[in-house]
Amino acid sequence: MTELRRTNRAMFWRILRRLLGANRGRLFVMLLALGAGAAVTAALLNLQVDAKRRLTTEFSAFGPNVLISPKATLTGSDGPATLSQDIEKGVLNMLLGAHVAPFLYFYADVSTENSEQVPAVVVGMHPFTFDLLEPTWKIEPKRADARPGDCMVGATLLSHLKITTGQALHVSVAGKQVDCAVKRTVSSGGEEDNQLFVDLSAAQSLVSLPNRVSLIQILIPGTPQEIQHSLAMLQQRFPDAEVRPIRQFTEGEAKIYNRISGLLTATVAIVLLLTALCVMAAMSNVAIERKMDVGLMKAIGGATHRVVRLFLTEAALLGLAGGLIGAALGILLSIGLGKAVFGVAARPRLIVYPVAVGLTVLVAILSAFPLRRLASIRPASVFRGEA
Amino acid sequence: MFLRLVADSFGRRPRHKLLTGAALALGMAVATAALSVALDVGDRLAKEFRSLGANLVVTPKADSLPLEIGGVDYRPVNAGAYLPEADLPKLKTIFWHNNIVGFSPILEVQGEALPFSNEDRRLQPSNWIHGVSIIGTWADHAVPLPEGGAFRTGVAKTNPWWRVDGQWFSSDGKECVVGVAFAEKNQVKVGDSISLAIGDVTVLPAPLKVVGILNSGGSEDASIVVPLSYAQSLADRPGQYRKLYVSALTKPEDTFARKDPKSMTPAEYDRWLCTPYISSIAFQIQEELPGTDVRVIRRVAEGEGQILTRVQTLLWLVTCAAMLAAALAVGASSAASVIERQVEIGLMKALGAGSGTVGFLLAAEQLLLAFVGGGVGYALGIVLARLLGEKIFGAAPEPTLLVFFVVIGLAAVVTLLGSALPLRRASRIDPAPILRGE
Repeated sequence: MTELRRTNRAMFWRILRRLLGANRGRLFVMLLALGAGAAVTAALLNLQVDAKRRLTTEFSAFGPNVLISPKATLTGSDGPATLSQDIEKGVLNMLLGAHVAPFLYFYADVSTENSEQVPAVVVGMHPFTFDLLEPTWKIEPKRADARPGDCMVGATLLSHLKITTGQALHVSVAGKQVDCAVKRTVSSGGEEDNQLFVDLSAAQSLVSLPNRVSLIQILIPGTPQEIQHSLAMLQQRFPDAEVRPIRQFTEGEAKIYNRISGLLTATVAIVLLLTALCVMAAMSNVAIERKMDVGLMKAIGGATHRVVRLFLTEAALLGLAGGLIGAALGILLSIGLGKAVFGVAARPRLIVYPVAVGLTVLVAILSAFPLRRLASIRPASVFRGEA
Repeated sequence: MFLRLVADSFGRRPRHKLLTGAALALGMAVATAALSVALDVGDRLAKEFRSLGANLVVTPKADSLPLEIGGVDYRPVNAGAYLPEADLPKLKTIFWHNNIVGFSPILEVQGEALPFSNEDRRLQPSNWIHGVSIIGTWADHAVPLPEGGAFRTGVAKTNPWWRVDGQWFSSDGKECVVGVAFAEKNQVKVGDSISLAIGDVTVLPAPLKVVGILNSGGSEDASIVVPLSYAQSLADRPGQYRKLYVSALTKPEDTFARKDPKSMTPAEYDRWLCTPYISSIAFQIQEELPGTDVRVIRRVAEGEGQILTRVQTLLWLVTCAAMLAAALAVGASSAASVIERQVEIGLMKALGAGSGTVGFLLAAEQLLLAFVGGGVGYALGIVLARLLGEKIFGAAPEPTLLVFFVVIGLAAVVTLLGSALPLRRASRIDPAPILRGE
């Protein structure tokens, strides 16, 4: 009994080997169809997971999304209110990966060697704040050394003062004066174009407000939900300050993010579904061509269920092979695609590989199902060439 | 005879042809759906990005230096230049007037406010709140257009993230909207009244009715928003404004758009002017409104451009991948259908058909399938793209002829390529061993 079974099994695999090897053209075609499907499945799944994450970093183009300001800044009756600069460190410790930028605003009279004084808004901040926080602004020159005596000038203020980079500026507030050398210019299209930017500590000593700032801007990376979460945490942590989102961008971002990720998911789903159906149709096409084989097997006494099992195993093996090769290619493809879109190679996700292979095997087996109809084939009519 | 052979091949093996056709149709449906969405997504997303508000700001050219902190201009009324409101309808006469979704002029002054509720009629002049920023603008204003009709615009269009509890003021009414922070601090609620003045608070001006509480998340939360005409009379600047925000639909800037228009050849210049780049729209607005300086709000415009470009590239890649997969599967399917027909080919050759005739016959069959399958696939793909577009953007992409031709062409090329290889092998077939079944 066991002897018979072993012979049977050996025969089963032998027939299978012959089935696969008999027509190399057909084998190649089937592998091609399955492999293409698997490659696209793997590439799209990997890219989809990666793209959503990457999109949230793209939103940093909109600059900071949260502001911390003093509570009583509403009316300027009792002088401009300020915050302690310790909040900056507190935020930095709380939110890893966030950009935190303190600003100190004040009015000052700005003048060059031979011009009269112009009242302007002067801003104290850390050097290179805008290089990190505002990727869309035009800052020239792009690279500069950070020296305490340097300052950055907004584009409108620059043309107003009729100066060029390299010249010296005098900034005076209530009798005190400080000089700085114009090193860079900034163009934002907003109020920053009218402002002069100096080093934060120099500004603090100029207006005698040591360790005080007017405003802290924060850029929190992440999905809209993550930003909301961080916002709530900040509000809880700093009850004495006003912590609010820049609604213009947080709300816009949330809306756009949902649209884009919905679009991506839907497109990928439709493409995958249709690709699966397409591969299935192509495979079924190959499958019905095998009437002769089935007819022969039945004629020499093969039971229908055995014949069907033979073909299903063949399909599963083909699906496995096509899936293993195709999915690997697809993941490599998605790494390249990620680089093309976002400039950073997509991180391959291991879970995608087995999923893609599994889907391919499933599609292959499903597409072998028309073979069940072969059970009704009458060998005689096949050999007479009638069917 | 040729046609009879083709017709016979379809008639005798309907299931087989149906499956090849189905593979083709499905593959082409993938291509159509992905292509339609990718072609359409730029315009749709550009509209979504308008929820970020204005991307252009217009200010007087010969202005004094604005003293702005956190969006509030602290210059006194008599400092700085103003722009005429009467010029604004001209914005809708520029070449890209349909791309201008909205604009709102702003006249901001620092003044005094005296809020009082209707029950409490005891007015205390000592209760005047000083240094309140008063923003005059349009909420939902009908701008008469030169060619007739009107264009409704205002901050509701340019600042869509502004939320108003209650309602916006009417353009000419004695109404105002109060920022949420100001309202909380001074216990103002909808239905109360506010008197406004600049400097001189000895005469009590006619009060404005508070019709809404504004939540903007910005400095406007601490100010009072009034109709532009009221702010003009308050500041004694009839028909003038200080700043104009424009929200325009644009095409993301590419390397061409970043070139200096002055250094372009006339042909390049025309192309630049006839593309809705933000720089060319800004240029046209500047031409139309003399004495202005039109600046691009880089945070909005550039951010939008970057993200749009990325998403579009991403979708194009998805489209290409989908088309590639469809092409491979369809090619495989047609290759299979030729491989399986060696006996038939052998018979035809034994009966005296040349390799060319056989190839021609099979190619004709495949092309016929490609056109039928491609057509069905196109229809299916358009339906899917519609569903997708309506689900995500609330609007279906327009079916374009371009997609149709691309899809039909792709179907033809793929089927022919798929069958070319086996056909070449078939042309070398020696009929005798095939017919003997070897």
